[in-house]
Amino acid sequence: MVTTRIDPERVLRGPSRGRETRGTRVFGAFNTVFLILLCALMLYPFITVLAQSFSSPGAINAGQVSFWPVGFNTDTYAAVMQNETFWRNYGNTVLYTVTGTAIAMVLTTTYAFVLSKPHLKGRKVLIGIAVFTMFFNGGLVPNYVLISSLGMKNTMWAIVLPGAISVFNLLVMKSFFESLPKELEEAAQIDGLGWYGIFGRIVLPLSKAVIATMILFYSVAFWNDWFAAFLYLDKTELFPVTLFLRNLIAGASTTASEGAAAAGTTTALVSSNIQAVTMILTVIPILCIYPFVQRFFVTGVMLGSVKG
Amino acid sequence: MSDVYGRTPFKATRRGLIGFSVAATGAMALAACSDDGDAEVDLDAQSKGAMDDFKADTQFKATEPFTLSLLWTEWPDLPVTDTWTFFDEIEKRTNVKFELTTIPFSDAVEKRSLLLSAGDAPSIIPLVYTGEEDSFVSSGAIVPMSDYVEHMPNFQKYVEEWDLGGMIDNLKQADGKYYMLPGLQEVSVPVFTLVIRKDVFESVAGGIPETWDEMREALVKIKAAYPDSYPLADGFEAASMLNYAAHAFGAQAGWGFGDGMMDDGNGGLQYTAVSEGYKQMVEYFRGLVADGLLDTDSLTAANDGSGGGSVAEKFANELVFAASGSSGTAIEFAQALNETVGEGNYEVLQIAPPGGPAGQVVEPRNFWNGFMLNAEAAESEYFLATLQFLDWLYYNPEARELIRWGVLDETYTKDADGKITLKPEFSLDAYNINPGAPTDIQADLGWSNSVFADSTEARSLKESYNTPTFVEYIDSVLSTRTPRDPNPPAPLDEMELEQASLLATPLKDTVDTNTLRFIMGERDIAEWDDYVAELEAQGLQQYVDLVNGARTRFEEENS
Repeated sequence: MVTTRIDPERVLRGPSRGRETRGTRVFGAFNTVFLILLCALMLYPFITVLAQSFSSPGAINAGQVSFWPVGFNTDTYAAVMQNETFWRNYGNTVLYTVTGTAIAMVLTTTYAFVLSKPHLKGRKVLIGIAVFTMFFNGGLVPNYVLISSLGMKNTMWAIVLPGAISVFNLLVMKSFFESLPKELEEAAQIDGLGWYGIFGRIVLPLSKAVIATMILFYSVAFWNDWFAAFLYLDKTELFPVTLFLRNLIAGASTTASEGAAAAGTTTALVSSNIQAVTMILTVIPILCIYPFVQRFFVTGVMLGSVKG
Repeated sequence: MSDVYGRTPFKATRRGLIGFSVAATGAMALAACSDDGDAEVDLDAQSKGAMDDFKADTQFKATEPFTLSLLWTEWPDLPVTDTWTFFDEIEKRTNVKFELTTIPFSDAVEKRSLLLSAGDAPSIIPLVYTGEEDSFVSSGAIVPMSDYVEHMPNFQKYVEEWDLGGMIDNLKQADGKYYMLPGLQEVSVPVFTLVIRKDVFESVAGGIPETWDEMREALVKIKAAYPDSYPLADGFEAASMLNYAAHAFGAQAGWGFGDGMMDDGNGGLQYTAVSEGYKQMVEYFRGLVADGLLDTDSLTAANDGSGGGSVAEKFANELVFAASGSSGTAIEFAQALNETVGEGNYEVLQIAPPGGPAGQVVEPRNFWNGFMLNAEAAESEYFLATLQFLDWLYYNPEARELIRWGVLDETYTKDADGKITLKPEFSLDAYNINPGAPTDIQADLGWSNSVFADSTEARSLKESYNTPTFVEYIDSVLSTRTPRDPNPPAPLDEMELEQASLLATPLKDTVDTNTLRFIMGERDIAEWDDYVAELEAQGLQQYVDLVNGARTRFEEENS
């Protein structure tokens, strides 16, 4: 066995900063500038959309809007907020996201917990089944036929159930559970807890970080998803707001054929202004979640990723 | 980051979606094997609800009420609301109730393919443009409409009145039947053409160009007056400009490229992209680019809603003075100019596509969107009534007026000359009629909806809601331009269709890429022969022979 002598003073000092050489200073400066530029690059589109949402449609068409609103107007906000379909779809998104995330969390945590137990018989098969779906799937039309034969078309379940277990998230959780000390569970067993007790009272409270991360992953995914809704829902009153948004944005940009372009320009003169307002209103809630979950987010992902 | 599926099932791009619709169509061919596309139809037994004495110009009313499922495309700014009287009025008049399957406009074509592929489509599938039905024919997913047009007197009346018989024949598939019924137009003018700054063309360039050569001279003068400008632009990845320009050079390009085959003048077909006319067109636009007269961004950038390469923006800032567009684009340009140049200081005009070496010609007369019927509809006991209803809805003049304007004397009035006036308490904002009135007949009542309203139109109806400048545009096209004759029909059978698409797709890719490269000056025009040789190496001759074979067969069978 190799023993390493630890110098307590050095540990307290933290990582050695040493003398700052010119190299590190240049690197630091470069790093700062680079990251600020990168940050600006990421923020620019968002700020432009924000500025556009408060500008007059004419000014946007004339290309005058970049950082600040030109021809300040809040009428569009008022108009979009009065749009019943928008709010109904918004409500749907909230419902789908909350329900979907709840179901996904229950299924993913329980499945991951089971898979994290090495003594489970058939564990490899269970993992294999999950991983298999990462690489292969039935394809679009068969999936569609399946969902509609199950009677889930035009219901919330078509949105929330097919995506309930994300294999990526499942594997992250599984590794996290595997990294929890086995001794804790053994102690709990000795004290008379069954598997459900161990899971509910010991494992879950210790997994707040990873759970928060998964909630974030799932809710962002459900919030942003429009494709499943596009496939399985045929009624406007069931659409999530992302489908409303996609219709608004992608509908305006069509060059596929003359007919489509004509329909895009002559009937749906949806101004960039309305698009911008809708985008802002749609991203705000999910944007607000990030700062609150961020600290879990980083630790959670790190915890899951390194095993050892 | 992972998505709901934990993988990336599908990139949300238009191109990706097209891929999936192709896959879906393929899958459909398999899925549809089991059901017999040519199920026996016995119209006598399937005549529930049908009128015995249904004829042209009569009101259709089903003898017993029934429901029809309908694929409804929803535009983001026109959601169906409870206040819509459109559906109620149709039901009141005809006893037919619609049951909607709503699909978003953004991906309507893809969803339509999916629904048809999965055998889940509603009975009536509107907003179908000619050619879009081709991929559903062989699987038997849609009804061969030509078998039943004898029960559609209004349709036949318009076809005869407006002399559309020849064009209808062109809809035929290889089996001699046609599977969609198009929207019929009494007059057909190019929807997309040049939108110009009339005031600048008049003051700087000495008038509105009638030919592409005059256009070039005008552009040179404008460029001299506005040295920073690239006065001509497209905004639709060159597809729009090449579309309306090609006819003047005796070719087909852009949106109008079709399968690439066009009339060779001797009753056969030739590949347009290797024709002399096509080369002339390419050289013409190449010349414009070389002299800085054509905005190259607008030929390559994807359309973001206001024209690729920010055409509207450039138009507003006097960097572009003529660009491709429809009447809607003209309004958009005007809005943008209000912000920069100021209202009253400019004039925007849609002009007839300039003529060229092939004469003052424009695209052949066109159909507009029509409908197809899901094969399941032919099994319904209400099938005959469905046919009569659709005949009324799509081709009865009164129905067309109803769909456009609403209920006579309720939303609009009509004087002795047939002039239609919207009542002051109603507006039609989409066409800027009575703006500010409390009720919009389109958004609030469902009239003038894009699913049905644009399809079949008499000239008077078309003129009744369009702006005087658009009516002027119609006049100028009809009085100064001749529509080209349609190409002779050469419908392919199922095997040929497959072969043709294998050959045509790479050919078209080569054509598209090189057309742009030649125009942009990225490829030397001296290499034209090499380009032709490249096409030949890709099986051009085989493709041309295939289509001409079908052409000869069609000729033999139908003469």
